[in-house]
Amino acid sequence: MQKRLLILEDGNVFKGYGFGSEKETIGEIVFNTGMTGYQESITDQSYNGQILTFTFPLIGNAGINRDDYESIFPTTKAVIVKEYARVPSNWRSRMNLDEFLKEKNIPGLTGVDTRRLTKVIREHGAMKAMLTNDTYSIEENLERLRKTILRRDHVAQVSTTRPYVSPQNGRKVVVIDFGLKHSILHELNKRDCHVTVLPYNTKVETILNLNPDGVMLTNGPGDPTDLPQVLEMIKDLQRKVPVFGICLGHQLIALANGAKTYKMNFGHRGFNHPVKEIATGKIAFTSQNHGYAVAADSIDTEQLRVTHIEINDHTVEGLRHRHYPVFSVQYHPDAAPGPHDAADLFDQFTELMESWKVGNDYA
Amino acid sequence: MKNNEEIEVINEVAIKRALTRIAYEIIEKNKGIQDLVLIGIRTRGVYLAQRIAERISQLEGERVEATELDISNYRDDQEIHLHTSGFTPTIGSVVEGKKVVIIDDVLYTGRTIRAALDAVIDNGRPKKIYLAVLIDRGHRELPIRADFVGKNIPTSKEESIQVSLEEVDGKDVVTILKPTK
Repeated sequence: MQKRLLILEDGNVFKGYGFGSEKETIGEIVFNTGMTGYQESITDQSYNGQILTFTFPLIGNAGINRDDYESIFPTTKAVIVKEYARVPSNWRSRMNLDEFLKEKNIPGLTGVDTRRLTKVIREHGAMKAMLTNDTYSIEENLERLRKTILRRDHVAQVSTTRPYVSPQNGRKVVVIDFGLKHSILHELNKRDCHVTVLPYNTKVETILNLNPDGVMLTNGPGDPTDLPQVLEMIKDLQRKVPVFGICLGHQLIALANGAKTYKMNFGHRGFNHPVKEIATGKIAFTSQNHGYAVAADSIDTEQLRVTHIEINDHTVEGLRHRHYPVFSVQYHPDAAPGPHDAADLFDQFTELMESWKVGNDYA
Repeated sequence: MKNNEEIEVINEVAIKRALTRIAYEIIEKNKGIQDLVLIGIRTRGVYLAQRIAERISQLEGERVEATELDISNYRDDQEIHLHTSGFTPTIGSVVEGKKVVIIDDVLYTGRTIRAALDAVIDNGRPKKIYLAVLIDRGHRELPIRADFVGKNIPTSKEESIQVSLEEVDGKDVVTILKPTK
């Protein structure tokens, strides 16, 4: 196997072996603590531009199947594992991880102590990293890495450019695509929602012309403050129609209502994050993938109420608008991968659309 | 009505969600919990009131009072009208000048609520009275409507709605009983 190096911005170098695509790459390095769900994670567009490390030591046991894709063209920059399963064992498996990464042109690195790597990331925070095949010296590569400026137009890269429909007979839901996971469409379709997916830069008039019962803002990659035009759209939209936000959508709703977001040191990526619903005290284990979060002290309590918090570090995980039919969560109620504890948030959304419609008919 | 067909319309999770939403709505409508008193109508309304009060307290970090109300003396389908206080003596006039939320499980003809209104007003002059119900099944016989509704369930008069709560029935579920022909 080909030798391959991982070079971190802080000078740490990890030696391992290459698999998947052979290309060199530079991206932001992050880690995911999930033991399974690698297929969903790698194809999750929220990892756009990022080098994804799996802390669990053996990845790929169940191969890659045809059902668990979260996007058709994944844009994860690279995948790092301790060891990947060359011979997967599962009745659904169509190929192994190596073949999959080759097909999708994503480079991989194996034979690295990913737990030590994770400790380094936890200490230094998410940073730039480079996967290289050792053609230059480490010093030269490090200089190249430090000079590189990472792209920030993540959402523009992954959002759909044309509208499309995921039909069902029922409520009309508009989904604004910031890098959506297919499981969101699954969950909405399952609840008889007729879904129209629109690009991230759609104008508010275009959305309202479709007369939706509700609008959903999806998950997505990158920094929410890079999308100022979307905030204007949300400000207008939330007065007129129920809005449900997930992940990036949650951060955008917070920003549109005057709160601030910040970049977390190493983010929440995995699906063992306990989240407490404040009203009931109930804990749900949730699937999460976010590197930014809403700053609790910046929230205007006249406008927004915090409904959910993460237990370990008290990150704001859920918000609800006090005057408009708007709520959002930082985590992924659609799971994929992860526990389905929070799936009833989609029911909450359909109930909100229902009651809003009733209220409007009589008002 | 024998041999009823039983259909589950709301499950445990949905009941929890509805109560949580009502809790939010009460706070939002009342703009806080100032002068708020929750009054549950016996039997199941009492437990709903306690659960909503629990949620509001968690959200606002301050206790909200939840008391219970027995309206049997105020009912219009009984011959003797005693018109004694529906509250237990210790609670007395908790309603004077307060914003009262009457809480019941099912809103149907509105007669129970009429009785509850009389019982509350006999005990003082509340600043405001709201009504929160878990289920609104229609068929009102009096001009009464709910401010907070868990779920609207349109029914026929032949059907009946059964609300089961953990505290009384051992489980949280709402079912419709349809008479079989």
